[in-house]
Amino acid sequence: MAGVTAFLLTLIGAALAVGLEVLEAMAIVLAVGSTRRPRDAVIGAAGAVALLALAVVVVGPLVLARLPLAPLQVVIGTALLLFGLEWLRKGVLRLAGARAPSSSLQEYLEEREAMEALPPPEPGQPDWPARIVAGKGVLLEGLEVVLIVAALGAGPEGLAPAITGAAVAVVFVTGLGFALHRPLARLPESHLKYAVGVVLSSFGVFFLGEGLGVEWPGHDAALLYLAAAFALAAQAQVAAVASRHTEVPA
Amino acid sequence: MRALRKLVLGETWTLPLGVFLTLDTALVFDALAGDTPFWRHAGGFLVLACGLAALAVSLAPARRRRR
Repeated sequence: MAGVTAFLLTLIGAALAVGLEVLEAMAIVLAVGSTRRPRDAVIGAAGAVALLALAVVVVGPLVLARLPLAPLQVVIGTALLLFGLEWLRKGVLRLAGARAPSSSLQEYLEEREAMEALPPPEPGQPDWPARIVAGKGVLLEGLEVVLIVAALGAGPEGLAPAITGAAVAVVFVTGLGFALHRPLARLPESHLKYAVGVVLSSFGVFFLGEGLGVEWPGHDAALLYLAAAFALAAQAQVAAVASRHTEVPA
Repeated sequence: MRALRKLVLGETWTLPLGVFLTLDTALVFDALAGDTPFWRHAGGFLVLACGLAALAVSLAPARRRRR
């Protein structure tokens, strides 16, 4: 039962986190592709994916081979806690109305506006601004994807649930982007990011504890009460912050 | 570099500082009481409490803002 809990939480956490990151990267690539030449946007994005793949192939085995499990869990737990609490902090502010809601569509529209302000590409010449903007967007979001999947993959169930969740999210979001040619308008991104914050923070505390020799009551099922504790504390923070804010800043 | 720093450390200094203090506290307790049943059974909840405190402190400016 505990194993299934950890497997499912890892899979869901990876799928949600990766899906949201890919959604943001997709918004940038679609914005570049729809205002400049689609080919250059795809070349920029593909270059970033190749760089990320190279980093995973070169750095991954080196890190895993040289570090014993306990220190690795401490490092990964700390990184997950840092990521998770940042997602949760932003999520609390968004749900409390103290920060504009997360919207890939808004990001897409802003990126389109920025690209339209640039001079048009010369015929027959590579469009470097488009390639760089698309590549940078994919590289930064992709780096976060790699870190989250690698960190979640260090869990008790291994890399399988993290990679499965990530793969499903990448295929689903990329397919959606190619089919619709623009980000979804009604996706509850703020709520989803808040949920990812809860999941990543829970895994962070869990790994940090395990790396320092803590025995969690309930073993892997501890992830459930850790998630409940973060969700309850975050909800209390939402209520406290919301009571101080009446309008959403632009 | 700015984007990378924001990616790794986030938007505030309080949260990375809070996570660092969480790690620091956990390492100190582990060094002092690592072999005792207290740490093995209660250490995780200490880490959890530190994590929750870091979140609360990082949100303190938003809680203080008046309407």
